[in-house]
Amino acid sequence: MSIQVNINGNKDTITQELTVAQLLTEKEVESPEMVSVELNGEFVERKSFSDTVIKAGDEIEFLYFMGGGA
Amino acid sequence: MKDLEFSTKVLHAKPNKDDSQRAIRYPIYATAAFDYATSQDIEDAFTMKKPAHSYSRITNPTVEFFEKKINILEDGVATVAMASGMAAITNTIFNLVAAGDNIVASKYLFGNSYSFFKNTLANLGIEVRFVDHTDLAEVEAAFDENTKLLFVETIANPQIILADLDKLSAIAHDKGAVFVLDSTLTTPYLVHAKDHGVDIVIHSTTKYISGGGTSVGGVVTDLGTADWTKFPILSKFHGLGSMAFTARLRKEVYRNLGSALSPNTAYLHTLGLETLALRLKQSSQTALEVAKYLQKSDLVSKVNYAGLETDKNHAVAKRTFSKELYGGLLSFELQNKETAYKFMDSLELVRRATNLNDNTSLIIHPASTIFCEYDAEERAKLGVSEGLIRLSVGLEEASDLLADVEQALSNL
Repeated sequence: MSIQVNINGNKDTITQELTVAQLLTEKEVESPEMVSVELNGEFVERKSFSDTVIKAGDEIEFLYFMGGGA
Repeated sequence: MKDLEFSTKVLHAKPNKDDSQRAIRYPIYATAAFDYATSQDIEDAFTMKKPAHSYSRITNPTVEFFEKKINILEDGVATVAMASGMAAITNTIFNLVAAGDNIVASKYLFGNSYSFFKNTLANLGIEVRFVDHTDLAEVEAAFDENTKLLFVETIANPQIILADLDKLSAIAHDKGAVFVLDSTLTTPYLVHAKDHGVDIVIHSTTKYISGGGTSVGGVVTDLGTADWTKFPILSKFHGLGSMAFTARLRKEVYRNLGSALSPNTAYLHTLGLETLALRLKQSSQTALEVAKYLQKSDLVSKVNYAGLETDKNHAVAKRTFSKELYGGLLSFELQNKETAYKFMDSLELVRRATNLNDNTSLIIHPASTIFCEYDAEERAKLGVSEGLIRLSVGLEEASDLLADVEQALSNL
């Protein structure tokens, strides 16, 4: 069952509840190894991407810290 | 596959975006600005929603690749490269401290760092409490509720005094402060700062990392161990978790101070990293030979080098340094200034210069140069005697260097 979320300020639909890691793949996010993810205003540590589940109504921001690291 | 060793990590780190021509050696992006296909793309770059460079004062692909390599070596969260080692120090301090805060710092510091702490910060209402960092009780007593950080160097020179990183980091953390380390003389090859409780590690990359004194630069790495929510100055960035320090640094302090490293320099420093381990091994081994030779001379009253088993810093070095190599810098004492000058002027290979960790061996008389602004009493308190000489051992063959030292000593 698809669910509604907000991604980078825009309403969006995802196929089901996904982890952050799965969301990066489903949305074909550019340079996934570089992206930082904010979920409902809180930064998600990269090591938690596979455990953090996106739920209906969540607000997700994909951010890129250019430069070495992150 | 097994964890890669130091030089392999350097050589096989990948840039964030492959070069469009797949050049083996990542090119120098000598440009101030970057083009965008659409206006929306520019907005997305400025709001961090697209991975794109906008302006080289903020980020640049060549600089970014150098930063990434340092970050991998340090096992950090993020690294920012700067125009100099002093830029790395000043940016770090300005990113963490405001008027009314204080810093605890070693009194044994590089002269320009000391000047920044003592003069520049004092004028901005930031107090620096100088301590003998080898006296742990004195260090602990210097903290109060407004202390934001502890700052030391891994090897303070010219005295060659080491810092017991594990014990110092424990004190800083117990007091709710972060531990900032200037590891210029050790580089990530000799000391892996994260293993010793360091939160922020800084290097002047001008020295070893540049390839041996080729150009001026610095780096700051957040090792991801600090809780930045305890720093009100970072409050705007607290939602970014472990990126809070770097986000404010990159998007405010570093950007506004104009501290960017040139891409041409980043290219040289990236090349330098590739041979860093080789050069450090060679200069460390030669330095130990020179130190042992000097120790045997009746004309030399004292040799300071942590690699000597008799040196007071040897036990700390054994615990802190990861390769049983102790770097290329040593100091020693002759009878007085005149004797020191005569020795230095007799050298035929070693150059008289103020830099260190160059590929060429360099020598200097600290009391009359680096410490010339201090009076004799202050110099004595800091252990900088009139007969003290600092020798930075380069990559000459040990036998040639020893012969030069021997003939110079024979002239005394």
